[in-house]
This record gives sequence, structure tokens and C-alpha cells, in this order.
Amino acid sequence: MDKKKLVKQLAVILFVVIFFAGLDLGIYHLFIKRVISHHSPGMQKMSVEVSNYVPFTDSKNIFSAKDAPKLEGDIPTIDGAAALLPMYAGFVESIYPSGSVKTAADGYAPESAMHYTNTRGAYKDIVDGKADIIICAQPSEEQLKYAKDNGVELEMVQIASDAFVFIVNDSNPVSDLTVDQIRGIYSGRIKNWKEVGGKNIPIAAMHRNKGSGSQTALEKVMGNEPIKPDYTTLFGSPIGISFRYYVTGMLGEGGVKILKINGVEPTAKTIADGSYPVAGGVYAIYRKGEKNPNVYKTVDFMLSPEGQEIVEKSGYIPVKSA
Amino acid sequence: MKDRTFLIILALVTLAGIAVTTALAIHGYRLWQSISIVEMIANWR
Repeated sequence: MDKKKLVKQLAVILFVVIFFAGLDLGIYHLFIKRVISHHSPGMQKMSVEVSNYVPFTDSKNIFSAKDAPKLEGDIPTIDGAAALLPMYAGFVESIYPSGSVKTAADGYAPESAMHYTNTRGAYKDIVDGKADIIICAQPSEEQLKYAKDNGVELEMVQIASDAFVFIVNDSNPVSDLTVDQIRGIYSGRIKNWKEVGGKNIPIAAMHRNKGSGSQTALEKVMGNEPIKPDYTTLFGSPIGISFRYYVTGMLGEGGVKILKINGVEPTAKTIADGSYPVAGGVYAIYRKGEKNPNVYKTVDFMLSPEGQEIVEKSGYIPVKSA
Repeated sequence: MKDRTFLIILALVTLAGIAVTTALAIHGYRLWQSISIVEMIANWR
């Protein structure tokens, strides 16, 4: 009798141990395994090192115009999207006084004339008056509404172009999708890679938080079709979204493949001539009626031959011949 | 095994399991949040 009871007790304890072991193994495979190699030396090389793009540090990653006249007086605070950091770091290094950029242990100091936030933060800051110029892709509906609700009108001047790209792991045999297939994947109509010429494996359609530059670009591609929630992306082989330069320039394209869209590869030529179907503008954005003349001088510099050369050398597509 | 002993062992095993699972979930969530889609796709074969 006691032996039977002991077996039962041990079975219960064993069950609890196996239950937690299974749960932990599941968490490891679903979450940690996919991100753990981020911390390997190889993956760290691929990470965006913001410290490589700090102006006035003799960084080889920043292209600037050495002989451009420096701004004097009230220096506008500049901020922008992560994917566009190399470009506006080049503008700042060209025309901002070196003492205007101040770093702190965790990034830029509050009094610095340059900040590095992200698209969401930058749009909020320009409306709230914490930034004077931001370098971003087009705003989302919510960002435009936030500006309107706060009585701020935004001026947008296109200074460059870049392509919105779809990426897969480089082991994925699919290399080309149509815009309609993209809409099918992100709306949930197309669920398996075999439906678009790939392996018989579910599609994990990854996207970003609302208000980010690439998510806003995805919403524009989708038109009226709703985007299926991101929490369904734990299984299968992934597809993700980004901007071309972020993948090719800042991350070295290691381990991922950029897909052709409608048979067109996103290159400088296809973006410039409009044949790549999901290219997008890069804008210098400031508040309408801005009183600081240096805001206009800075935007004029971005569109000058020197500024457009920085755009091109930084890896983006100029809007004017440099 | 006495009932009391069994319950103590069961409670300890359960607590240890919850602690490890919670720590792992928090660690995984933080890693997940800290990397870009591009890096995650590069890892995700």
C-alpha cells in the first residue's frame, strides 16, 4: 500500500518536473534560440552600432562635406529614423559646429543638437518642439493626426529615396514575390511558402510596431487589406520588412535575402527610375512657419550638391544629381 | 513518503519550475525586444 502511494507521489513530482522542463524547452526554442546568436561575435558585427555614426569622432562610416560653412547662432535640434542615421550624421558633421553634438553614457546628451531616436519618437518630438528637423520616411495617419491635434503643421521636403524591402532567411528558396502575394501574406490569405513557390512550411509574417517607418510603409502597400496580428508568427519560416539601406548598408546583409518585387530588384537604378514598385521618399521635416533661419539653411544644404553627395555616399538615392 | 514531506517536495519543485520559467521568459522577451527583424530573420532558418 505504502509502495503504491510512494510511486504515485513520485509520479506526481516527475510530472511536474517534466511539465516545467517541456515549458522551458518550448520557450527556449520559440524565443531564445532565434535571438541568442545575436550575441555571438558574428552577429554583433551585423548589429547597428550607433557609436559608429557619432559626428566629429573621425568615423569612417560618416561621409561629410569638409569645406561646407558651419551654422552660427541658434543650432536646430535634429533627430530621425534609425535607418537614416548615417545620412543625417553626415549632414550634422558637415555644417553643425562640433561643440553642438554632445554624447552621454546612454546616447546623446539632452542639450545635444543631434539626437537619435526612431521614427515614432522623432515625429512626437517635432510636434512637441523637442526637435526642429527630423529625417524620416512618410508619417503614418496617427502621426499626422497627432500633429493636427496639437495644432502643428509639418513641412516635408524630400531629400532622398530608399526602397521598402521584404526580407527572408537566405536559406529560403523564394526570391521573388508580387505585390499581390505580399498583400496575401500579410493579410493571412496566403499562409504557406508552397503557395508562392517555396517549401511546404508555414509563413511567419513579421512586422513592426505601429508608427515605425517600415510599418507605415507596409500599411501603404497593404492599402485597405488589414494586416494580420504579429503574434501568429512563432512558427514557420519568416518574412520581414525593412528599408534597403538598413539591410545592405548597416547590417551587411548577412544571413538574409532581399526579395525582388514583381521581378524587380531594389537597386539605386530601379528606385530612381520608379520601376521598383515600393520605393519611398526620405524627408526633412520641420514645423511650418519655423522662425529659426538655420532650419532652412540646413534643409537647403541637404538639397545642395554637397548634401546630395552625402546622400549618395551614405548609400541612399539622391533626389538631385550630386 | 509522508504526506507532509511529499507536499514540501512538490511545492519546492513547483516553485523552482515557476522561477526558472519566469526568468527564461523574461530573458527571452528582453532578447526578442532588443534585436531587429533583420537580425532575427538571419538567425531563423
